[in-house]
Amino acid sequence: MKQRRLKIIAASTILLIAMVFLVLAMTEKTSVLHFTPAELIANAEENDNQNLQVDGVIAEGSSTWDAPNFKLTFAVRDRESDETVNVIYENRLKPDNFTDGGSVFVEGKYDATKNMIVATKLTTKCASKYEGAESTSSEKSSS
Amino acid sequence: MFIEDLIVAIQGLTAELGQAAIFLSILSAVWTIVFLCIGLTKRKPNLIRSGRNAIIATFILISIATGALLFGFVTDDFSMKYVVEVSSAAQPLLYKITALWGRMSGSLLFWLWLLTIAGPIVVLQNRRSQDSLADYALIPIAIVQLFFIVLVTGWIEGVYNPLDRYPDWQIAVDGQGMNPLLQTPSMAFHPPTLYIGWISLTVPFAYAVAALLSGRIGSDWILRSRRWMLFSWIVLTVGITLGGHWAYQELGWGGYWAWDPVENASFMPWLLGTAYLHSVMIQEKRGMLKLWNILLITLSFQFTLIGTFITRSGIITSVHAFAQSDIGGYFLGFILLSTLGVIALIVYRWERLKSANRLESLLSRESSFVLNNWLLVGLTLIILWGTLWPIISEAIQGEKASVPEEFFNQVVIIPGLLLLFLTGAGPVISWKKITPNNFKRMFIPPIIVGLIATCIGWIFLAIKSILDAPNPIGESLFAQIPDGLIFSGKTFPIFSLLCIFASVFVLVAICSEFYRGAKLRTKRQQTSFLNGLGLLIQRNKRRYGGYIVHIGIVIVYIGIMGSKGYFLLESESLKLGESMEVGSYQLTMKDTFQEERENFFRAGVVFDVSKNGKHITMMRPARHFYHKAGQGDQDTIESAIHGVGMDNLYIALGPLPAKIDNTTDVNAQVYYNPLIRVVWIGVAIMVLGGLVAIAERSESATST
Repeated sequence: MKQRRLKIIAASTILLIAMVFLVLAMTEKTSVLHFTPAELIANAEENDNQNLQVDGVIAEGSSTWDAPNFKLTFAVRDRESDETVNVIYENRLKPDNFTDGGSVFVEGKYDATKNMIVATKLTTKCASKYEGAESTSSEKSSS
Repeated sequence: MFIEDLIVAIQGLTAELGQAAIFLSILSAVWTIVFLCIGLTKRKPNLIRSGRNAIIATFILISIATGALLFGFVTDDFSMKYVVEVSSAAQPLLYKITALWGRMSGSLLFWLWLLTIAGPIVVLQNRRSQDSLADYALIPIAIVQLFFIVLVTGWIEGVYNPLDRYPDWQIAVDGQGMNPLLQTPSMAFHPPTLYIGWISLTVPFAYAVAALLSGRIGSDWILRSRRWMLFSWIVLTVGITLGGHWAYQELGWGGYWAWDPVENASFMPWLLGTAYLHSVMIQEKRGMLKLWNILLITLSFQFTLIGTFITRSGIITSVHAFAQSDIGGYFLGFILLSTLGVIALIVYRWERLKSANRLESLLSRESSFVLNNWLLVGLTLIILWGTLWPIISEAIQGEKASVPEEFFNQVVIIPGLLLLFLTGAGPVISWKKITPNNFKRMFIPPIIVGLIATCIGWIFLAIKSILDAPNPIGESLFAQIPDGLIFSGKTFPIFSLLCIFASVFVLVAICSEFYRGAKLRTKRQQTSFLNGLGLLIQRNKRRYGGYIVHIGIVIVYIGIMGSKGYFLLESESLKLGESMEVGSYQLTMKDTFQEERENFFRAGVVFDVSKNGKHITMMRPARHFYHKAGQGDQDTIESAIHGVGMDNLYIALGPLPAKIDNTTDVNAQVYYNPLIRVVWIGVAIMVLGGLVAIAERSESATST
């Protein structure tokens, strides 16, 4: 009876440790830092060529959709200041609710010299007029 | 003029009446709590009856308030702030009604109203019962009601009362209207379904609290909470799927699940509910896991609140998140207080929560259930970890970070596949300890068939990967090994093969359970095999309903494997007459079209779809342009979906000029989603199984 209990405890412990290890390893591997445009510009050098996430608003009048090349370019502006980061998003649709002044999440690789993010994922949240609506456009899964 | 004034007066009156009803309901909720507490401790039937009546009064009062708000929507009462914010005169009636839960204030009232329905139902269900368990259960229900009533009164910063009107009889000319993205039928059904699923979890939780309060921790509360949990589980299953289906059809990114915080918030209580539905069987059968069951049910209830907290507090910057407000703190406080309350009760009843039996072997039905519970709870915690990572990372590292979809996909797959294997192993492994005979009879045949299927699957996937042009995105989760994790190498589709093996193993194991049982009935009753099968299910609905759910789960897994693992994606910019290829399909842009609709303008293109030169169908993806005074135009993606067997061809278009012509560059993003229909079919089977199981009356409950 004692031995059985020991076996059960040992098996559960191993399972638990394996799970915790897996989760921590994957967190470490996939976690991306989150910035506002102002924070990113202030720390541009150390984040050069890093995958990261920027949260801001779509700068008014900055977005152009280049249909022949399937390319979206725009600038994401800080909510509290005028600092902006350029974004380029290729071969993906522009998400719904993509309007000037609307909230946007940009995920991708940052190039400090050009102050530009090559985005892999864009998420919009509509401007304050609407709540609770969402739209996402992304590479549909891990690579 | 007179008539208009009269209408305005009536509108004002109903709004005020609704407000009054909300404030009165505070009284009735407190009444329920106080009278039941006193009545139950002093054993005064009169007081208990009065408490019961008070909870029915709460229901009536909140119905009046909800009705008043609905009246405001239907009659376009633009003197009400909330109506102005989410509705407009031109909005179709259906969406005027669904506007009720379009924003936070209204959704809280709607939530509260659904919660108040639970009171009378519990009273009715127990009108003939001899014990007072249900009366105890009404106390926690009334406490939760009271919490939500306080939230809708408008006393809290940032959340106004949904029945509030503009001061001094001011009336807005028109409302602002609801987001066009939300004006689709599935958005009309998806949120209320999820709400019902979440809210109904309050009742099993209330029974657990009732068991602790009354000290009757035997099977009474299990019997009564089980069916409620099954109900919540079915509704949540439907609600989660509707959400995925909506995203797939409306958002144009070709997928149905992205591990968004809100999706996670609905998925976590589902996982915990699933765990509970399994662990109760161990308590019924073997008198074990009493404490665990109470904890599980408390957790599932708390997770509905945590979900609301996550989405309403603005603490996680989710795309779904409602505007920031103080409401998060109130939720957090309520979560902490109610958890502390349950813990105190558990300590108080500690002696009665001891197990009657212990686990005897690592390989037994009991331990397979325990493992199932561990995995489900583990998954929940992993998902919670990923969802809260922005907060956790800020607390630990001082930097805000988040984890992408990839994190969830990769950490979930191994426990997920283990769980899949258990859906077949659990039902056929023997109680107490596995015997050689049990293993030979129940495990060897499905393992052999599973291995054969895996080999066939491997050959099929190998041929497919040679035939299909290599696609950088299609080659994803199931198709490759996460590098550096366990094995190295990229081409061996280990997870697909494990998934195929486990799926076939489970299908064979479960189907032979059905076969064996049906054959026995057939022999005993001297009837046809189909009749025997029907009788078998009818006599033990819960057990075989559960097995049907397991079959549905397997089918969902197969669908996820196909659609998440092997989809193809091509994006191209086309002009009229040009074509593109996705897998073995050719899409040629044949024509453009534009048409005026009721409240939007539709423009799009016509694709001719062919496979190996043979015409298959025409597809018409489009964009809808909504005009909204003062807010500019808004256009949305309207994807076209064509079913090919179990697969989908999916086209979404990039921005178009409203005047589309022959020289327009059209941006098409085309997905080929294999086996995606299998996902919806699998869910339908799960729901069917759930309905079979819930049909069993609890009095006659005989489990496995």
